[in-house]
Amino acid sequence: MDVAQFIIYGLINGALYGLVALGLALAFGIMGYLNVAHGDLIMLAAYGSFWLFKIWNVDPFLSIPLMMVVMFTAGALLYVAVFSHLSKFIILDRLKNSILVTFGLIMVFTNMATVLWTADERCTTPFYSGMVIDIGGLRLPYIGLATIALAIVITLALHLFLSKTYFGKAIRATAQDWEAAKLMGIDVARTYLFSFAFAVATAGIAGAVISMHVVSPSIGMDWTNYGLILVILAGVGNINAILPAGLLLGVVEAISVYLAGVPYTGVAGLVMFVLVLMLRPQGLFRGRAAL
Amino acid sequence: MIPTDAVWKKLSVAGGIAALLIFMPMVMRAHYLVNVLSLLFLYITIAQAWNILGGYTGQLNVGQAAFFGIGALATRLTWVIGFPFYVAFPAGGIAALFLAGVIGLPSLRLRGHYFAIGTFALAIIARIVIGNIFPGVAIAPGEYVANYRLLPRYYLALSLAFTVTLVTYLVVNSKLGLGMMTTRDDEEAAEAIGVNTFKLKVVAFALSSFFTGLGGGFFAFYYISYYYYVPFDLLWCFEPLLITFVGGVATIAGPILGSILFVALKETFALTFGEISVLIFGVVFILVVLFLPGGLISLAGKFRRLLHKPVGQESSQDEK
Amino acid sequence: MLEIDKIDVSYGDVQALWQISLKVEDKEIVALIGSNGAGKSTVLKSVSGLIKPRKGTINYDGIRLEKQPAQKIVEIGICMVPEGRRLFPDMSVLENLELGAYLGRSRRAKDETLNWVYEIFPILKERTGQPARTLSGGEQQMLAIARALMAHPKLLLLDEISLGLSPVLVETIYGVIKRISDSRRITILAVEQNVSVILELANRAYIIENGRIVGQGDAKALLESGEVKHAYLGITPASGEAE
Repeated sequence: MDVAQFIIYGLINGALYGLVALGLALAFGIMGYLNVAHGDLIMLAAYGSFWLFKIWNVDPFLSIPLMMVVMFTAGALLYVAVFSHLSKFIILDRLKNSILVTFGLIMVFTNMATVLWTADERCTTPFYSGMVIDIGGLRLPYIGLATIALAIVITLALHLFLSKTYFGKAIRATAQDWEAAKLMGIDVARTYLFSFAFAVATAGIAGAVISMHVVSPSIGMDWTNYGLILVILAGVGNINAILPAGLLLGVVEAISVYLAGVPYTGVAGLVMFVLVLMLRPQGLFRGRAAL
Repeated sequence: MIPTDAVWKKLSVAGGIAALLIFMPMVMRAHYLVNVLSLLFLYITIAQAWNILGGYTGQLNVGQAAFFGIGALATRLTWVIGFPFYVAFPAGGIAALFLAGVIGLPSLRLRGHYFAIGTFALAIIARIVIGNIFPGVAIAPGEYVANYRLLPRYYLALSLAFTVTLVTYLVVNSKLGLGMMTTRDDEEAAEAIGVNTFKLKVVAFALSSFFTGLGGGFFAFYYISYYYYVPFDLLWCFEPLLITFVGGVATIAGPILGSILFVALKETFALTFGEISVLIFGVVFILVVLFLPGGLISLAGKFRRLLHKPVGQESSQDEK
Repeated sequence: MLEIDKIDVSYGDVQALWQISLKVEDKEIVALIGSNGAGKSTVLKSVSGLIKPRKGTINYDGIRLEKQPAQKIVEIGICMVPEGRRLFPDMSVLENLELGAYLGRSRRAKDETLNWVYEIFPILKERTGQPARTLSGGEQQMLAIARALMAHPKLLLLDEISLGLSPVLVETIYGVIKRISDSRRITILAVEQNVSVILELANRAYIIENGRIVGQGDAKALLESGEVKHAYLGITPASGEAE
C-alpha cells in the first residue's frame, strides 16, 4: 500500500475524529464544562444505532436523525439533572468539577452498558460495508467518503448557525461573557441547556458512524481522548478548526503508521498534543475564533 | 508549654487509634479488615500526596495516575529482576520523581486550566503507552507468591500513610507551606512580594509525585498479579481528587476522612449492589461533587455555625 | 419610576449594602456618587438583576424587580452599561449592537435603531466590522452605551463610564447622554467617581459610603456643598484650594 492510500485512510479517520470532538469542543468552549464522558455518550448512541440496525434493519446513516433527537433529549435531561448545578461554580472549579462529575458519569454509563448489553463487541454491517470506489488503484471506501461528507456538512452547518443566526450569536456571546449576555436579555440558563443538549446530539452522529466500526462498553475513553486532543490542537473555543485539526491528526497518524507500524498509531496524536500544549497552548489555528 | 486538657484528650484519642491500628492485626485474625485497612492507608497516602500540590499549592494535578503507575512499574520491575525490597520500593518513588522532573518543569508553566488538562493528558498518554508496551499481566515469580505475608504489607501501608501525613503537616506549618498557600491564593501577588512561586510549585510537585510513586510501589508489592495498565488506570487520577475534595481540601484531616468514607462506601456498595455497584458509586460520586463542594470538613463547619447562630462577621471567619 | 426600598445586599457572607433606599423619577438624571468600594456598582447590579438583595424591595413602575431574573429586567425596559464595559470581545461592533437588540420587539426595530445609534456615535459605523477588542477605550465605551440603547430602554443604568477616559472624551460622552435623555425621555441612573462631571449633568444625586446612603439632594447644591467638595474634590472649605 502506498502513501496515498494511507493518507486517504488518515483523512477518513480524521473526519471521524472531528465528528467525535465537536460535542466536546462545544460544551467546553461555551460553558467551560469538560465532559470526559462524551466518548461514553457516543458509545451509548452507537448502541442505539446498533440496535436500530439489528432489530429494525435501519441503516446506520439513516439512524442519524432519530439518534440526534434521542441524544438531544438525553442531553437536555442530563443537563437539568447534573450540569445545571455546575453553573454556580467559578471557572476553575467548573473545570475540575465537570471533570469529576463526568467521570462519575463514565462509571454510570459503562456499568449500565455492560449490565444491559454485555461486554461483547458489536458492529452494524450495512450492505455497503466493504465497498469501495476504485480510482487508479486507490481504494475509497463508501463509508469513509460518507463520513468525510458528513463531517464537512455538520461543520459548515454549525458554523453558519453560530455566525449567521441570532440564537447562534447569543450562544457565542454567552460563551464570551455570560453576565453581559444576561444584560442583553439572553436567558443564559436556557442557552446553556440548548448548547449542551446540542453537543450531546452530535454524539448521535458520531455514534452512528462508529457503530459501523466496533461498539462495546469500554470504547468511550478512547474517543474522549481524541476529542481532547483535537480541542487542544484547534484551540479552546475554536469550533471551526475542529475538523481541520482532526484531518491533520488523521493524516499525521496515517503517515506515522506508514513509517513506524501499527503499534505506534496512538503515539503521533499524543506527541502532537503534548507539543502543542507545551509550545502553543492557544492552539494551532488561532485567527478568528468561532466562539 | 503545658498541654491543656483539650490537647491531652486529642492525644489520647490519637494514641488509642494508633495502638489499635498497630496491635490489632497481630492479635486478631481479621484478614478482611487488614486488607481493607491496607487499601485505606494507600488511599490516604495518595490523597495526602495530591493535597500537597493541589490543595495547598493550588495546582490542579489531574494526572496522578501517571505517577502512581510509573511507581508501580518501577517497583515491580526492580523487584522481579531480583533487587531486594528496600531497593525496589524507593525505586517507585524515584521513578515518579524522575517523571515529575521531565514533565513537571515544563508543565508548571501552564496556567490555570491548562495545567489540569495537561496533567490529565499525561495520564492518558501514560495509560495508552503502557497498554502498548506492556499489554500483559505482571506476574510475580512463584517463590514470591509462596512467601507472601499480609502483615508486613499492612505495616508498610500504615507507615507510608503516617509518613506522608507527617510530612504534609510539617511542610504546611513551615515557611515552605506558607509560601505554597500564598502561591495558591494569588500567584501574582505572591510573586510581587518576592515569593519564588515557581520553585515552590516544583518542590510541591516533587513531594507530591514522590509519595504518589511510593504509593504505586506499595501497589506493586501488595497485589501479586495484575494487568500492567491497572495502576495507570485513570481511576487513580480521579479518586484521590474526589477523596480530598470530599474530605476537605487543604486540610490534614480531609484526605483521611475522605479516604475512610470512600473505602467504606466502596466496600458497602460492592457487597450490597454487586453488578451495579460501580453505577451506584458513580451516582454518589456525582452527588457529592455537586452538592458538597466544600467537603466533609465544611459540613462540620456548617454544623458548628448552625449551633452558634452566626452574626454577620463571625461566620465568615469560620470559612477557610 | 424606580424605587429602591431598604435593600441589604451581600456577596456570599460579606455584606455590601445596608438599608439602601433611593428613588428615580421618570426622565430624571440621578447620580450615585461615592468613593471606591462604597457599593455604588452593587446598587446597579441589584437593579439589573445580576445580584439579588437579601432584604428589601426594588420597584419599577409597579413591578417588583428583586425576584426577577436579569433577562426579564431587560424586557421590562431597564438596561445597564456595566462597569468595565463587558463587550463581547471577539464579536464585531455590529454583532455587539445586534445582541443589544436581542429581545423580540427591539430585534424587529433593529435596523432603525442601528441607524439612530450610528448617528449618535459615527465612529461605530466606521468600525462596524471590527472585533470589539480592537477598539480604543473611548470607542469601546461608546459601543457599550450604544449596545444598551439598542433595546430602547426606559431606564438606563450607567456604571462608571468615565473610567479610563480622557476628560474631553468624558465630557463628549456625557454630552451625548444628556441629549439622548432629553430627546428620547430616557431616565438615567449614573454611578460615577468623577463627581464634578456627573453633578453638572444630573438633577439629583445620592451619596453612598461604606454601603450606606449618607446624603442626597439637588445635584447643583451638592456640587457647591462643602462636604462634597472636601470629600471628593479635595477642596478644604477654608482655603478653597485643592489638597
